[in-house]
Amino acid sequence: MKAVYALYADGYAAQQAVNRLRAAGLKDPDITVLSGRPMEEFEFGNVDKATWMWWIACGGALIGMAVAYGLAWISENSWPMNVGGLPIFAWWPNLIIMFELTMLGAIVATVITLVVTAGFGRGKGKLYDPEVSDGKILVGVENPPAASVSQFQQALSVSPDAQIKTV
Amino acid sequence: MPRWGMAADLDRCTGCGACVTACHAENNISTVGPYQAMRGRAKHWIRVERYWEGEFPDVKLKFRPVMCQHCGNAPCEPVCPTYASQHTEDGLNAQVYNRCIGTRYCANACPYTVRFFDFFNPEWDKPLHLQLNPDVSLREVGVMEKCTFCVQRIRGAEIQAKADETPLKDGDIKPACAQSCPAQALVFGDLDDPESAVSRLSASPRGSKLLEDLGTQPAVTYLSRQSES
Amino acid sequence: MSRPSDSQINSDLLKPLLHTSWRFYLLVAFFGAIVLFGVGTWFYQAYHGYGVTGINWPVFWGFYITSFVFWIGISHAGTLISAILRLVQAEWRRPVTRCAEVITVFALMIGALFPIMHLGRPWLFFWLAPYPSERLLWPNFRSPLVWDFFAINTYLTGSVLFLLLPMIPDFAVVRDKATGLRKKIYTLLALGWRGTPKQWHRLETAMSIMAVVILPVAVSVHTIVSFDFSMAPVPMWQSTIFGPYFVAGAIFSGIAGLIIAMAFLRKFLHLETYLQPVHFENLGKLLLVMAVLWGYFVFNERLVTYYGNEPAEMAVFWRTQRESFAPLYWTMVVCNFVVPLILMGIKYTRRTIAGCVVASLCVVAGMWLERFLIIVPSLGHKYLPYAYGIYRPRMIEVIIAGATFAAMTLLYVLFAKGVPIISMWELKTPEHEPGAGHAPDTQASLGEVRP
Repeated sequence: MKAVYALYADGYAAQQAVNRLRAAGLKDPDITVLSGRPMEEFEFGNVDKATWMWWIACGGALIGMAVAYGLAWISENSWPMNVGGLPIFAWWPNLIIMFELTMLGAIVATVITLVVTAGFGRGKGKLYDPEVSDGKILVGVENPPAASVSQFQQALSVSPDAQIKTV
Repeated sequence: MPRWGMAADLDRCTGCGACVTACHAENNISTVGPYQAMRGRAKHWIRVERYWEGEFPDVKLKFRPVMCQHCGNAPCEPVCPTYASQHTEDGLNAQVYNRCIGTRYCANACPYTVRFFDFFNPEWDKPLHLQLNPDVSLREVGVMEKCTFCVQRIRGAEIQAKADETPLKDGDIKPACAQSCPAQALVFGDLDDPESAVSRLSASPRGSKLLEDLGTQPAVTYLSRQSES
Repeated sequence: MSRPSDSQINSDLLKPLLHTSWRFYLLVAFFGAIVLFGVGTWFYQAYHGYGVTGINWPVFWGFYITSFVFWIGISHAGTLISAILRLVQAEWRRPVTRCAEVITVFALMIGALFPIMHLGRPWLFFWLAPYPSERLLWPNFRSPLVWDFFAINTYLTGSVLFLLLPMIPDFAVVRDKATGLRKKIYTLLALGWRGTPKQWHRLETAMSIMAVVILPVAVSVHTIVSFDFSMAPVPMWQSTIFGPYFVAGAIFSGIAGLIIAMAFLRKFLHLETYLQPVHFENLGKLLLVMAVLWGYFVFNERLVTYYGNEPAEMAVFWRTQRESFAPLYWTMVVCNFVVPLILMGIKYTRRTIAGCVVASLCVVAGMWLERFLIIVPSLGHKYLPYAYGIYRPRMIEVIIAGATFAAMTLLYVLFAKGVPIISMWELKTPEHEPGAGHAPDTQASLGEVRP
């Protein structure tokens, strides 16, 4: 069996289900929660919040700045051209190039981090139910040990109309 | 290293336009025809500007030849994205046709409006094509061109002087306009040589530069007419 | 105001994607034909030489550069609405963000075409890119046109990503609702999105970072476009106010463009529930503020020029205000200042969508005129009187500049067909109450709520 899960119509029932699964001995990384929108008004929507993304963006920005400086320095000094009496390596104009590439570095670093940490392209085979798009919240367990399945089903039946499914 | 410059004596200039014709002949500048000239596409690297002042019968006529001033602080140079407009070590503002992609920013930046754009591929009616100067490249549509102080003559003279192992003397190099001027109003030479004719003329009390307050440091000095001083 | 349910939102906003009417094909055919005509005209120009345009000595820039600055200006819509309003947590932005971001991306793409189209040798445009060429030559980093290249490319990359990333959860919804080939395509596009809290967090963090980064980039882009003018010693171009002046004008025209786009979307896609008069009214207030700001910058620039009384500058000054360009100039003032101030200042007209659209159409026309009036009068009247000139646009330039409007509409129509034009997941997310904790009532959830 690949997964046992239930679909709930609102966040309160989903929160109850998560708490009951935790009481059944599951750790947070083993509980799968899927929703059609971010649910940060509930506790279960706030797991895994800590991220290094801001720092990585700053790192990307620094790399961008270094690339721009290197590009300007190497290209302007490799064939020094006198234009309008300006210095060969003129700081004021080069700052513009450095600014743009700094920002580009931050953007690219952010996007790469997002793709990697959000697991884009690696969703195949993982638990999913199309009803999540209609506003249902999915709470479940992937690859449960066979002995615990009925225990999890019990934990997931928060209310009589919860749709419990197994895959 | 010489620093090439020019002096234009407006007291001698008669406004005949021989310099314009000579420049066209020397530098392979095509004429564009009356219709395109009316639409503002003529390419006169040197032109005789003519101004009428006053009302009849007290009309005064002023004219002066204007060519690329080869500014020391040229506003056309930093704005070119491909380094097609750059400053050489001998003080010339060089236009490298092969690098030009035709953004025309340099022409906008030039306060003297001495830069020209090739709106069409140049054409010469036969047999005028036989008169083309082999020392000067033809410019295709889409590039900028302007007065070069006849750089082909400068380089030619320098190469010849090196081959002959004799130093260049003042007056050895004459751009086409200076050569053809019947009144010898245009004088070309090395501004860094204090003995050259152009240096002595540039130091004249009649001398002034065109649009001097813009800070472009032009290399051409205009000597005003005695009657106006 | 009762919000529609999630499934209602899904079905309303996915209708354009899943059902195609004959009107769509008609629109695509019509605008596509105009765009093709424009492309053909440009090939005609590239083949016959640049002389077929109205550009001459001394007015070397005309309709194309006007359009370039105009479209880059329009592209500031998305950044303002999406990035700024996201950062200040203005909740009314939610239905409007994607419409705005789409305008940004497409306006940028169109605007970025013009520097290529106006080149004398456009097949060599790639020399603006910094690559190790066989000529051993790099681009001139001291040139404002190279700054343009970097700035526009950075902004375009950032805007495309800013648009694409929040589309992924919506692609997941389409994937779930579609069948057949559509399902396959959207499965690919959704990149395996599931909707775990971790994915939502990462997406929202990435969006916040992008919003913070894209704001200075947007400001820098139009400032750098203004540097194309202020770096040249042309009368009335060498003004230090050009940077902020152009940015304010860009945001101004961007909001106007957004209002027009939203009004059409509301009409044609039946989005009355989602794009409500209050959204137009809020944008109308922004339009009013920007109109006043535009007036401030113009007054600033003109007063300083007037007081300076420098002969060359005053000649251009009077040329626009009293002489040959006066009709265009005063039309611009009416379109950009008088009309928005009246229509958006009076609450009654601001509350109507028609009032907002009329004001926006005037602003769009006025801003195009403003760019034209910055470029052409100055170039035709520089320092040496012998070099004064006039510019008359020819049919080719009018066709190409006009075809870009058709291109924008076409791209927009195609986009609205393939992607939900309102960000569905952002619409479904409830409003964050400022200052309060997260859960509206905590007694139902047995777990602790982390603030």
